[in-house]
Amino acid sequence: MSLFEYNAPLLGDVGKPGKPEDDVHRLGSMQQIKVAPPRFKDSDLIDYAIVGVGSAGGVLLQRLARAGFKVVGFEAGPFWDTERDWVSDEAGSHKLYWNDLRITGGEHPVALGANNSGKGVGGGSVHWASFVPRFHPSDFEVYTRDGVGADWPISYEEIEPYYELLEQEMPVAGPARYPWGKPHGHPYAPHPMGGVGDTLIKGCTKLGIPVSAGGPVAILSASHGDRPHCIYRGFCIQGCKVGAKASTLVTHVPDALKNGAEIRDNCMVARVSMGKDGRTDGVVYFDAEGKEHFQRARAVIVCGYAIETPRLLLNSACPGHERGLANSSGTLGKYLMVQAGNVILGRFEELIRMYKAPPAHALTEEFYETDPKHDFARGFAVQTVGPLPIAFAKQMMASKGVWGWGMRRAMMEYNRWSALGLLGEILPWEDNRIELADGREGRHDARDRFGLPVAQVTFSLKDNDKKMIEFGKNKVMEIMWAAGAVEVVQEARYAHLVGACRMSKTPDAGVCDKFGRTWDVPNLFVMDGSVMPTQGSANPGLTIQALAARTADYLISQNDAIFTSSLRDMTEPPCRKSLAPPGTFRHGIPHLR
Amino acid sequence: MTDRERVKGEREPLRDPATGAALPQREQPGYYPGFSTLSQKKYWDATTRKVVEERVAGHRLGQKSIRFFTHAEAATMLAVVDRIMPQEDRTEERRIPILPGIDERLYENRLEGFRFEDMPPDQEAYRLAARAFEQMAQTLHGISFHEISIREQERILRSVHDAKPLAAIELWKQMNVERFWALLVSDVVAVYYAHPWAWDEVGFGGPAYPRGYMRLEEGEPEPWEVREQRYEWVAPADSISDVEEPNGTDKEHQTYPGQGGTH
Repeated sequence: MSLFEYNAPLLGDVGKPGKPEDDVHRLGSMQQIKVAPPRFKDSDLIDYAIVGVGSAGGVLLQRLARAGFKVVGFEAGPFWDTERDWVSDEAGSHKLYWNDLRITGGEHPVALGANNSGKGVGGGSVHWASFVPRFHPSDFEVYTRDGVGADWPISYEEIEPYYELLEQEMPVAGPARYPWGKPHGHPYAPHPMGGVGDTLIKGCTKLGIPVSAGGPVAILSASHGDRPHCIYRGFCIQGCKVGAKASTLVTHVPDALKNGAEIRDNCMVARVSMGKDGRTDGVVYFDAEGKEHFQRARAVIVCGYAIETPRLLLNSACPGHERGLANSSGTLGKYLMVQAGNVILGRFEELIRMYKAPPAHALTEEFYETDPKHDFARGFAVQTVGPLPIAFAKQMMASKGVWGWGMRRAMMEYNRWSALGLLGEILPWEDNRIELADGREGRHDARDRFGLPVAQVTFSLKDNDKKMIEFGKNKVMEIMWAAGAVEVVQEARYAHLVGACRMSKTPDAGVCDKFGRTWDVPNLFVMDGSVMPTQGSANPGLTIQALAARTADYLISQNDAIFTSSLRDMTEPPCRKSLAPPGTFRHGIPHLR
Repeated sequence: MTDRERVKGEREPLRDPATGAALPQREQPGYYPGFSTLSQKKYWDATTRKVVEERVAGHRLGQKSIRFFTHAEAATMLAVVDRIMPQEDRTEERRIPILPGIDERLYENRLEGFRFEDMPPDQEAYRLAARAFEQMAQTLHGISFHEISIREQERILRSVHDAKPLAAIELWKQMNVERFWALLVSDVVAVYYAHPWAWDEVGFGGPAYPRGYMRLEEGEPEPWEVREQRYEWVAPADSISDVEEPNGTDKEHQTYPGQGGTH
């Protein structure tokens, strides 16, 4: 008897009854896609090999397939069937994360895995909380304004059309008028409030701080095509079985496959291969059985996120590129960033039940910009979080030091706690970096199961970061007290991962140009969170997808020149709305002209 | 004398503060008597139900499933996790086995995606710690960790919590003690609070697909949830673990093993 005939649920089994066919994937409770048999052989010369089908890779795959290119996405993890593979359960969702070993150190080491790294088609967008604020115009010129960090090689105006496009493709639910950065509205209505959102609104209102209720989040507040609206079950970061939360798995991959893209799941790319002409000629990868292959390609786009992308380029070192591919500047792996993600926990006399509603549903960006009254540059946001019991127990350990009977006692108050997250801008520093583990401690785990060196991550906070965290943490605590908490504690931590292959105006300052084209190899691109020169206090997901859509437009405009020429045309491409997945344009985005 | 006899023999019995009468062990501690997430499993999707039911059934196998720890290590670590997550207030058949879950993770090398550069791999860390706990008991009391009294066990654990181990200093020097403590407590709570009985204890609604929630504010229960019913839940009076005190790691911006995503 199949899993799905077993004791059918009272609300009806979701998806197709009976044994799911191998080529049909259920994506959420309504959407199904048929996966065509493999289209290309290793020996075929494909146009684009995309390494990593996550936030950026999913969008690129969809765009390039729709434009008619021969494109294959290589994904180290599985191609999910969300009904078969995902669960409404915290412990059972462990497989969504990049759990393979990385070694983390420095003065203030970063937790990896579940905290910030996805594996499987959809990548991190499968387990993001899906807050999707835009970056502010100031984010693109941090160095010019504040003399710290870096400027981007693009301005807000260049990415803005892609913000609007992706906000409709996801689509985003949020308030009628979002006041921070460049004010704008949202295509879908805001979500109703849960207990944690009420905490933030109460606290902010008491202190006179503006606050945004009900978004912006990439979660449907009304149904959209074959994706149903949110059911407020609170398991967003365990993977949305409903299909209401956007991930490229449900938003872009189906359209990519319909347009002829191929996805090779459980395939780990080992290195980008270089031909004799200074151009890449394809990728070497291991399939699910561990067998090594070489796929010929006319161009390669690495979309592996801020650890695996630099790791792959470092592991691709070869004669002429001894320090790693695309590393003539020496910046590959450097300027890695995470955001300060301290969680401030408040206990209330009244019940909260923070497991209900999406963890992401209200925020304030009132402290986002540099404030001359502060003793630090840049700022932070304050957002709702809604830890489930295991995550909350770890936070109780971290914030209160409880164990034994003390842990049992603290946990019995779970429903009286509310949780707010600081999201603070840590600046890019050269020595926060990704390197290859060299086994210097004499340990056997410096290489993965394919024999590839694992990533060694080094991270330390600098003075500006520490001052920002101290101020931000205290501000969030103030909000929590103002909301009426009777006890307030905090857990120090980080959120997100960006940088380490940054884009730059000139070849000496970064790994790639403003379209993600590496400075050293004309048909090798990098496109994911790793290209960001700074990170603002906004969750990076929307910006990653917007940058990917823009790069797709560039590649389409350049057409064959990418494959044949080494000339670097820096002309901004037209924003091609015609390439959006079908059904995108039912709603508009109100914005200031 | 078994651990359990020691519990009964050495500590003050749990007493109801109102009546002074000895408190019976509860099938379901916590403030949500009568709430059962498992009673709602017909409303869960089939995949989730299978995973949770297998978890409950698998835990009933108990110690039989130990594959990573040696017999001696298992005896020590069983006593350790019984103090990290004590369950004497639960009736015997409603206690949640914890060590098998940790053993399975280590045996299957199910990692959290990273290790700290000043820590050995998780498996080595646990073997080292099992040796160290045993050596601490031998040094301080001349008998095995699982044979010393619960209070003595707690005193040893608390010194590790404080990153000032009372003995076995040479062994503890081989890794970062704060990080090991965090790894241990994280692993223990990840097993305990994955169990539906623990969800019932803290009033967490459990799996919620495809039904979802309709009552999001003011802590309002869904019709199938129950309202909180407070009473004074008391831990054994002599326990030194019923306290809140930051451990060594709280000093600076620090990271814990197994941190999940937030925002």
